[in-house]
Amino acid sequence: MNLRWTHLAMWLAFVCLMMAIPEFVSKGTLRTLIFANFLAIFAISWDVLSGRTGYISFGHPFLIGIGAYTSAILTKRFDVPIEYAIPAAVLMTMVGGIIVFLPALRIKGSYFALVTLAFMELMYQLVQVIRPDLTGGTRGMSGVQTLTRGAVNGYYMSVSLMLAIAFSMWLLMRTQLGTALSAVGMNEESVRGSGLSTTKLKLFAFLTSAFVAGLGGAFYVHYLGSIAPRALFDINFLFTIIVAALIGGASTIIGPMLGAFFLTFLLEFLRPYLPGAERYFIYGTIALLLYMYEPKGLIAIIDKYWQRTRGTFARKQEPGESL
Amino acid sequence: MTPALKISNLVKKFGGLVATNDLSLVIEDQQSVGLIGPNGAGKTTVFAQIMGEHRQTSGSIELYGHEISNDTTPERIRRGVSRTYQVPRPFTDMNVLENIRVGMMPNNIWKMITSPPRHSRETEIALSVGFAKADLTKTPGELSMGDLRKLEMARTIATGTKVMLLDEVFAGLTVAEIAQITTLIQSMRKDGMTFLIVSHDLKALEPLVDSVIAINYGRKIAEGSFSDVMNDSAVRSSYLGAA
Ligand SMILES: Nc1ncnc2c1ncn2[C@@H]1O[C@H](COP(=O)(O)OP(=O)(O)OP(=O)(O)O)[C@@H](O)[C@H]1O
Ligand SMILES: [Mg+2]
Repeated sequence: MNLRWTHLAMWLAFVCLMMAIPEFVSKGTLRTLIFANFLAIFAISWDVLSGRTGYISFGHPFLIGIGAYTSAILTKRFDVPIEYAIPAAVLMTMVGGIIVFLPALRIKGSYFALVTLAFMELMYQLVQVIRPDLTGGTRGMSGVQTLTRGAVNGYYMSVSLMLAIAFSMWLLMRTQLGTALSAVGMNEESVRGSGLSTTKLKLFAFLTSAFVAGLGGAFYVHYLGSIAPRALFDINFLFTIIVAALIGGASTIIGPMLGAFFLTFLLEFLRPYLPGAERYFIYGTIALLLYMYEPKGLIAIIDKYWQRTRGTFARKQEPGESL
Repeated sequence: MTPALKISNLVKKFGGLVATNDLSLVIEDQQSVGLIGPNGAGKTTVFAQIMGEHRQTSGSIELYGHEISNDTTPERIRRGVSRTYQVPRPFTDMNVLENIRVGMMPNNIWKMITSPPRHSRETEIALSVGFAKADLTKTPGELSMGDLRKLEMARTIATGTKVMLLDEVFAGLTVAEIAQITTLIQSMRKDGMTFLIVSHDLKALEPLVDSVIAINYGRKIAEGSFSDVMNDSAVRSSYLGAA
C-alpha cells in the first residue's frame, strides 16, 4: 500500500489542527468552516468520479439531493430514527449512482456531462411536482431533525465526517485501485488493452462517489435542519463543487479539500465587498487564472514550492513522494 | 498440437468497405509470423478483431483451440493474447513503472485494493525490454519514440501474454532503436513467445519471422517464407516499396 510514517504523521497533525480550531475562531468563522467541510466532502465525491475517471459529472447535486431528501423524508414524514435513515439514504444515493453510471456505458465527454446536468434538472422539477406532501414542493422542508446544536458541535460533527471520508478515500486511492481508476481517466482503451474491465472500474468509482455524496447529503440536511431545492439544485452550488476539486487539484484527496477551504474563504472574504452574484464572477475569474497557471491545482503549486525548499537543503527527493 | 491462433474465413465490413475479406491464417505455438501489405490493406483491422475492439462481420477466431469471438477484450487478454498500437497509447501522467503496473493488475477490484504492487517484477519487466534504471520514473512525455514502443511491449508482457501482436513496431525509430527492438524480439522468441508482427520495414522484419502473410484489400494474396512472398508477383505489384 506504500504507506510512509511521514504521511501518517502529517495526517495526525492535520487532524489535531482541525480539532483545535474551535478554540481560536469565532462562531461565525466556525459556520463558514462547517460549510467548507461539507463542500470538501462533495468535492472529494465529485473527484472520485470525475477527477479520476474523466467522466465529468455536471449533476452532482442529483446525488447529494437523493441523500438529503431520502433522510429528511424518512425522519420527518415516517419517523424513522436517524440512525436508520442515514444508511437508507446512502443506499438510495448508490442506486442513484447506478442511474448516473448507465449513460457512461455509452457516452463520454460533453455528452455525458449534459446528461448528468439533465438528471439534476429533472430531479429539481420532480421534487416540486411529485408528492409535494412528502418533499415539501417548491418551498422544500424545514424542521428536519438535527444531529447537533450550536456551531461548535456542528463543526466537530462535520469535520469528523470530512476527515473520516478523506482519510479512507486517501487510503483507498493509494492502493492499485487508485492507479487503475486514474488510468481510466487517461486512456480507457489502454486500460481495456491491459486486461482490465473498465465497466467494473467505472461502476466502482460511481458507487463510491455516490456513497460519499449520499453520506454528505444526509448529514448536511441533518445539520441544517432544512432543505431548499432552489439552493441545492443550483448551478452555482454545482460549479462551486467542481471548481473546488479542480483548483485544489483533481485526482488527489488533499486537493479537493484544499480547494473547498480556499473557495469558501474566498467567497466569504468577498462577501462584504460584493454581496450579490458578482462575487461568483470574481471567484470564477480567480479560479480560471489559477487553473490556467497550474492545471494540476493548488496542490501542485504547494508541492513544487515544497520540493524547491527541500532542494535548497540539498536533501534527496524520493520518487513518488507527493501527496 | 493446437495452434496458438487460428483465424477462419474472417470478414469485416465497414459499411460498403470490406476491410477484411475471407481471411484465414494459422499461427503455431512459438512461431513468429509477419503480416504485411500496403497502407490501408487491413492489417490493423485484423488486430482489432483478434482483440475484440472491433467485432467481425463473420468468421471465427480461435486462441489455443478456444473460440474467443464472444469474449470481451480483457477476457481475451487473460486467455493470452495482447497487442501494441501503431501510435503508442501510454498513460500520460504515470511513470514507466506505473504504466507497467496497470498491465500487471488483476482484473478484480478486491484484489486491486488488497494486494500491493509487485515492484520488483515491474522493474524486471522494464529492464528486460531495455529501459535504463534512470528511465523508470520518467513519464511518457519525457520518452523517445523507441522508448514508447518499448513501454507498449512492456505493458503487453506484463499482462502475461503468450501471443503478442505488434503493430508497426519499427515506425519512427532510429537505426539504433530498431536494433534494440530486434534483439528484444529475438530473445523473447527464444523464451517461447508467439508473434504476429506488422511492419512496413521489411528489412527489419526479415530476421524476426518464420513465415510471412501478405494481404491487400483485406484479402490474403500470398503466404510462405519471407523470400517466397517477396518474390510473389501479386505482392510485388501491390506492395510498393518491396523492391
Ligand atoms: N473504424 C473504421 N471505420 C471505417 N473504416 C475503417 C475503420 N478502420 C479502418 N477502416 C478502413 O479499413 C481499411 C483498412 O484499414 P487498416 O487500418 O486496417 O489498414 P492497415 O493495413 O493497418 O493500414 P496502415 O498500413 O496504414 O496502418 C482502410 O481502408 C481504412 O480506411
Ligand atoms: Mg495499421
